[in-house]
Amino acid sequence: MKNIEKYRNAFIEALELDENEALEELALGESSEWDSLGHMILISTLEEAFDVSIDADLMTEFDSYQSGIDLLTRMGVDFVNE
Amino acid sequence: MTFISIEFLLFFAVIVFTYYSIPHRWRWILLLAASYSFYASLNSYFVLLLLASTAFSYVTGIIIEKQETKKQKKRVMLAGICVLLFILGWFKYFNFVNDSVRAIAIYMNWNYSVPYQEIVMPIAISFYTFQAVSYLVDIYKGKLKAERHYGYFSIYFAFFPQLVAGPIERAKKLLPQFKVEQTLKYENLSYGMKRIAWGFFKKTLIADRLAPIVASVYNSPDATGSEIVLATILFSIQLYADFSALSDIAIGCARILGIKLTENFKQPHFAVSIGDFWNRWHITLSTWLRDYIFIPLSKGKKKRSEIYLVIVITFLVSGIWHGAAWTFVLWGLIHGFYRVFGDHTKHVRGKMASFTRLDQSPSLHKWVKITITFLLVCFSRVFFRSDSVAEAFENAKLFLTPHSWRPAGMIDALELFSLLDLMIFMFFFVIVQLFHYIERKNTSTWDWLSQRPAFTRYAVYVLIVVSVLIFGATGQGFVYGGF
Repeated sequence: MKNIEKYRNAFIEALELDENEALEELALGESSEWDSLGHMILISTLEEAFDVSIDADLMTEFDSYQSGIDLLTRMGVDFVNE
Repeated sequence: MTFISIEFLLFFAVIVFTYYSIPHRWRWILLLAASYSFYASLNSYFVLLLLASTAFSYVTGIIIEKQETKKQKKRVMLAGICVLLFILGWFKYFNFVNDSVRAIAIYMNWNYSVPYQEIVMPIAISFYTFQAVSYLVDIYKGKLKAERHYGYFSIYFAFFPQLVAGPIERAKKLLPQFKVEQTLKYENLSYGMKRIAWGFFKKTLIADRLAPIVASVYNSPDATGSEIVLATILFSIQLYADFSALSDIAIGCARILGIKLTENFKQPHFAVSIGDFWNRWHITLSTWLRDYIFIPLSKGKKKRSEIYLVIVITFLVSGIWHGAAWTFVLWGLIHGFYRVFGDHTKHVRGKMASFTRLDQSPSLHKWVKITITFLLVCFSRVFFRSDSVAEAFENAKLFLTPHSWRPAGMIDALELFSLLDLMIFMFFFVIVQLFHYIERKNTSTWDWLSQRPAFTRYAVYVLIVVSVLIFGATGQGFVYGGF
């Protein structure tokens, strides 16, 4: 499975979203699913999926679907050349 | 020497004058001497404990850094934290645990003979211990290098403006500021003096005027329900004025020395939910608990129910941090329950708002949420303020009785004030609310004020200072100074 699919599945699983939902515009706090508690579940799911550790400082940077990709890219996850 | 005293203002003036008169390379010695002198004036016996905790944390930080593997670093960090928590536990919680075990032993008919110990709690131990723990954890995580300059490290531990009651600062933010050569800037001096004056205003004209009225109800064996309701609401106002005044004075003093401390309050009584309340009340403690308790315990949790348990544990730690008594434990648990209940019912509450069409009036909806949150916070503070669990439950029962909320009963309860006291309190309370209102419309009331004509500006400054001098009540210690 491609990393972008793993990333998308992590959102669907952690935030209990519909599989057909458009995720690209999702942002922390702008939907009832992605609240502060949902954020913690999402972090745990992403950490397991990509075998990374996201600490408190980085968590606050991760506030949208796109910023999560940017963060994981900085942590060595390749979303382009896989 | 407390913050609210002429002695402190004179002491601080001498420190500021000397600080800017000597070369930067000597300033750490001055700040350290000032910090230890200030602490000794409050609690001379425990300066040695502060020195020992500082030395221990300094050495432990370096040892953590020198370990080769992550596992070894973790081991040293945990050992260091255990020692720091043992010291905190010994002084703050020994009798709490001892009394609780004795009560259980009596109930279970066990033989338990550890006697009550006369242990005096060192002032500020909860604050500097939390700073020390964050320092060791941050070194372990590689976010921070262990400080080698013992002088600067000691100031981080004992910086007198924030030693007694925070804000709880992180070494990463505070330590580099001590090392930068600060020059006397008009804007720092002006802003710092305004924050200090505003702290004096809230403390002496709101908090210390309310304290005896609240105490008269909570110490009375036959307070009426309406008196408990009114006293609890007043206690919430008192506690905010008291604690935020401490932070104002700390932030103001530090700013004059060129040091920026973290804001600790953002109008918490205007929070729209309990989660929002904790983002606005004692922010540096909330973020500390989030970063060092909540997030580590939430790692790997993929179900809301698991996170709920972590929330309850985090609030339990918050309650125990505040005080060694079952009333504080219950207060923490109540907030944990609020947070969990709030999350669990958010969809139902959303539907209710939709059904009642409240969501179609966003402003009204917001004020309903602010009111409910404030009342929930007030209810929890019945436990925070009561002297024992039995009294807390008695007072909570009175608080929840609809009869206690009768308008006639509330008007009768206002007789707790003399007419003059009531008018003075109302006048200054309105001024504080006006300040908050301007802050909600602008980013900073001080910036807004600086854009007014000179006459308006100076009229406000004179009003603040003259009000404190004429109407200010003193003599009450800070509530959070006891933690």
